[in-house]
Amino acid sequence: MTTLISILSGGLQGYILVALLLFITGLATVLCRRSILVQFMGVELMLNAANVALVAFARFRGSDVQGTVFYLFIIAVAACEAAVGLALVVGLYRLRQSTDTDRADALKQ
Amino acid sequence: MQKVAWLIPILPLLGAAFHGLLGRRLGKGAVTAVALACLIVPLILAGFAFSAVLDAPGRRLDLPYFEWMAAGPMHVPFGLVFDSLSSVMALVVTGIGTLIHLYSVGYMWEEEGYARYFCYLNLFVFFMLLLVLGSSLPLLFVGWEGVGLCSYLLIGYYFDTEVAAAAGLKAFLFNRVGDLGMTMGMMALFASFGTLTVGEILTRAGQLSPEAGFGVLTFATLMMFVGATGKSAQIPLYLWLPDAMAGPTPVSALIHAATMVTAGIYLICRLSPLFLLTPITLTAVAWVGGSTALFAAAIGLFQRDIKKVLAYSTVSQLGYMFLGLGSAGFAAGFLHLFTHAWFKALLFLGAGSVIHGMHHQQDLFRMGGLRSKMPITFWTMLVATLCIMGFPGTSGFFSKDEILYLAFQKSPALYAMGLLGAACTAFYMWRLMALAFWGEPRDRHAFDHAQESPATMTAPLVILAIGALLAGLLGLPRIWGGSFAIEGWLEPALTFGRSGLVVPNPEHGSAALAWSLMALSTTVALAAGFLGWNVYRRGTAAEEAFSSRFPVLYRVLSNKFYVDEAVEALILGPARWGGHFLWKAFDVVIIDGIGVNLPGAFTRVGGDLAAQAQTGRVRNYALGMAIGAVLLLWIFLK
Amino acid sequence: MFLCFALITLIGAVALTFQRNLVVAGLCLVLSFMGVAGLFLLLANPVAAALQIIVYSGAIVVLLLFVIMLLNEHQEEPAIRARPIQRWLSVLVTLVLTAGVARLVAGSGLLRRLSANPPPAAQNLGNLGNALFSDHLLAFEVVGLLLLAAMVGAVAIVKRDL
Repeated sequence: MTTLISILSGGLQGYILVALLLFITGLATVLCRRSILVQFMGVELMLNAANVALVAFARFRGSDVQGTVFYLFIIAVAACEAAVGLALVVGLYRLRQSTDTDRADALKQ
Repeated sequence: MQKVAWLIPILPLLGAAFHGLLGRRLGKGAVTAVALACLIVPLILAGFAFSAVLDAPGRRLDLPYFEWMAAGPMHVPFGLVFDSLSSVMALVVTGIGTLIHLYSVGYMWEEEGYARYFCYLNLFVFFMLLLVLGSSLPLLFVGWEGVGLCSYLLIGYYFDTEVAAAAGLKAFLFNRVGDLGMTMGMMALFASFGTLTVGEILTRAGQLSPEAGFGVLTFATLMMFVGATGKSAQIPLYLWLPDAMAGPTPVSALIHAATMVTAGIYLICRLSPLFLLTPITLTAVAWVGGSTALFAAAIGLFQRDIKKVLAYSTVSQLGYMFLGLGSAGFAAGFLHLFTHAWFKALLFLGAGSVIHGMHHQQDLFRMGGLRSKMPITFWTMLVATLCIMGFPGTSGFFSKDEILYLAFQKSPALYAMGLLGAACTAFYMWRLMALAFWGEPRDRHAFDHAQESPATMTAPLVILAIGALLAGLLGLPRIWGGSFAIEGWLEPALTFGRSGLVVPNPEHGSAALAWSLMALSTTVALAAGFLGWNVYRRGTAAEEAFSSRFPVLYRVLSNKFYVDEAVEALILGPARWGGHFLWKAFDVVIIDGIGVNLPGAFTRVGGDLAAQAQTGRVRNYALGMAIGAVLLLWIFLK
Repeated sequence: MFLCFALITLIGAVALTFQRNLVVAGLCLVLSFMGVAGLFLLLANPVAAALQIIVYSGAIVVLLLFVIMLLNEHQEEPAIRARPIQRWLSVLVTLVLTAGVARLVAGSGLLRRLSANPPPAAQNLGNLGNALFSDHLLAFEVVGLLLLAAMVGAVAIVKRDL
C-alpha cells in the first residue's frame, strides 16, 4: 500500500519498477522474435532499462554526477555495439539472404 | 659339510641357467661339458655327504641356511637335511642322472634343441634335489612343483608336434590335481602341528599318544597320498604317464622311471611316522597300490609300442611300491624304489637304443631278430628283464618278494593281486624281449640298417646292468641268512621323533610262510615268463589268433580299458560344454552385454539426448541463459 | 506525470514485442525512448534526457532504420518449423520474472528509505563536463578509442573488397 502511494507520488520504487519491467519486456522480445533486427531492438530496450535504473538511483542518492558520467559511457558503448552489430547483420544477410536467426543454425549438433 | 652342501642342488641350477642363456651360442661341446660337470660334481659331493651321514649322530645332518618365510606363527626355514633316506635318494638322483646325461649326449646329438634339452634336464635335477633334501614341506613342495614343470617342459620337448604338446599339458594338469591334495595336506599338517618343518612335525607327532583322535591327521595323510598319487601315477591319476612317452627316451628313463615318479613314495617314507598313526590311510595306500599294480600290468600285456609297455610297467611297479608302503613295509617299498630305479632306467635306455638303432621305429610288431645286431643292448636288457620279473637272485626278486610277503600279512587278497600282477609283468616283459630280439625280422629294411648304438649310449647300459644286479644285496632277506640291511639303514630316518612309540615290526609271519610264498611267486613268474617268450619268439601270429578268439577281452585290454575315453566323455566333455555355455550365455550376454555395452549405450543415448539442446539458434541459448538467471535469482532471493 | 511517462515507455516496449512490421517496430522503439527521456527529466537530469534523445533515438534508431530499409525486409518470415516450446518457456520465464520483480520492489526496505530523499538540484552540463575531463579522463579517452575501433570495425566487416 505504501508502495503504491510512493509510486504514484514519483518515488524510487516506481522508477525501479519501470526499469525492471522494461528489462523484462526487452528480454521477452529477444526470446520470442526471430528477426535479428527486432532482437536488436530488444537489446536496446534492456540497455535503456539499465540506464533508467542508474539515473534513478543517482537522483535519489544525492545527485552524484558520477551517475550521469556512467550513463554517458553506457550510451557510447551502446552506439559502438549498434554499429558493429548492424554491420554483422548486413554480413549475415549477404550470406543467408535472410535475417531469420532460426536459419542461422550451422553450429547445431 | 654345511659350507658345501648347498652346492649339490645349486650346481645343476647354474648349469640350467648356462644352457638356457648361453647354450645356443657356445655350441654343443660346451653344453655337454657343463651339463656333465653339473651332475658329476654334485654326485661326488653327495658321496661325501653320504659318508658324513654315516658318522653323524642319529645318522642325520640338519643343515639350516636361512629363514625363508615368516608370517605370524609360521616360520619356514630354508635348509637341507641329509639323513639315511635323503642321502641315498640324492645319490640315486645324481648317479642315475649322470648316467642318463651321458646317454643323452649320444641320443640327442642330432637334435636342434640340444642346449634346451640339457637346460631342462639340469633344471629337473635341481628341483628333484630340492625335493629330496628339503628340510621343510614348502621347500619340498617347491621341488615337487618344479619337477612337474620340468616334466611338462621335457615331455613337450618336441613342442611342434600335437602329440607331445598335448601330452605335456596332460601331465602337468594331472600333477596339479595331485598338488591340490598336497597343498591341503600341508595346511592340515600345519593346523595340527603348527609347523611345516619335517623334523619338527615328526617330533611333535611322536609325542602324540596312540589313542588320541586322529581326524585331522588322517585327512592330512590322505591328502598327502592324493598328492603322491598324482606324482607317482596311481589310480586314478595315472593317465598322464603313458602319454608322457612322447618325450625323448632318456627323459622317460630319468623322470618317469627313476626319479620324479618316485617322489610320491619318497614323501610317504619321509612322513612314515604320520602314516603309521593313521591306519586308514595306510590301508587305502595298500589297496590303491595293489589294484594299480594289477590294472596297469594287465594293460601292458598287449601294447604294441615298446615305450608304452614300459610306461605301464612303471605304473604297475609303482603300484607295488605303494603296496609295500601300505603294508607298513616302508623299507621294503623304498628298496623296490631303489632297485626299480636301476632296472627301469636300464630298460628305458635300452629301448631307446633299440629305437635309435631302428631309426625311430617304436612298434614291436615291426621289430625282430635284433639279438645278433645289437648284442650289448640285448644282454643288458635281458638282465633288466630278469630283475623285473623277479628271477631268483636278482635285485628285483628281493624287493618284490618282500613286498608280496608283507602284503599277504595285510590281506591275502592284496597278495593275490600282486601275484597276478607279477605274472602279467613277466609275460609282457618276455613278450617285449621276444618280439624285439628273437624271431624273423618283420621290417627287413630297417633291420638291415640297424646297428649297435655308440659307446656313449652303451656304456651307461652296462653300468646300469651291473648296478641292477648288485642292488639286491641291500635287501637280502632274513630267511636267506641276510639281515635285510636296508631296513636297519633306514631305521633312524623312518623312526625320527618316534621315541615313545614302539616300532611295529611288519614281519610277524613264520619262516615257512615266507618260503612258501617265495616259491609260489617265483614259480608263477617263471611260468608266465616262459609262456610269453615261447609264444612270441615265433612272431606275432599268436596274438592275432588270440585277438580273433577273444575279441572283446583283447580290445578292452589293448585299448587301456577305455579309461581315457571315459574321462573324455564324463569329465572333459561336460567341462567343455559348461565352458561353452558360460561363454555364450554368461560372458557374451551378461558381462559384455549388460556390464560393458549397456553403460556405453547409456552414454551414447544420453549424449544424443543432450545434444538435442544444441540447436545452433541463439534464441534458444538466450532462453537457457534466462532460465538459469531466473533460477539463480530465485536462490539468492529466497 | 511520472505515471504518464512510465506508461509511454512501457506501452512502446510492449508494442515493440508484438509488432510484425519492422519499421513500425522501430517507431515504437522511438516512442519508448521518448518516454525514457521524459523520465529522465522527472529525475532532475536534463542532460541525460537530452543525450537520450540526441544519441539514442536520434542516432542509433536512425542507424537501425537505415539497415531495415537497406535489407528491405519489413515483415518477419514464417518459421521453418513451428516449435512452441521456445514460446511457452519464454512466456513462463517472463511471468515468473514479473512476479518476482513486483515482489522484490514491493518488499525492499532500501528503496523505501531512499524514496524519502528530497529532489536535488538539476544536473547541468558544466558539472558533467568538469567531471568527465578531470576525474574520469582516462575512461573518456578509452571510450573515444572504442568508438574509433567500432567505426573501423563496422566498415571492415561490411566491405566487399579492399
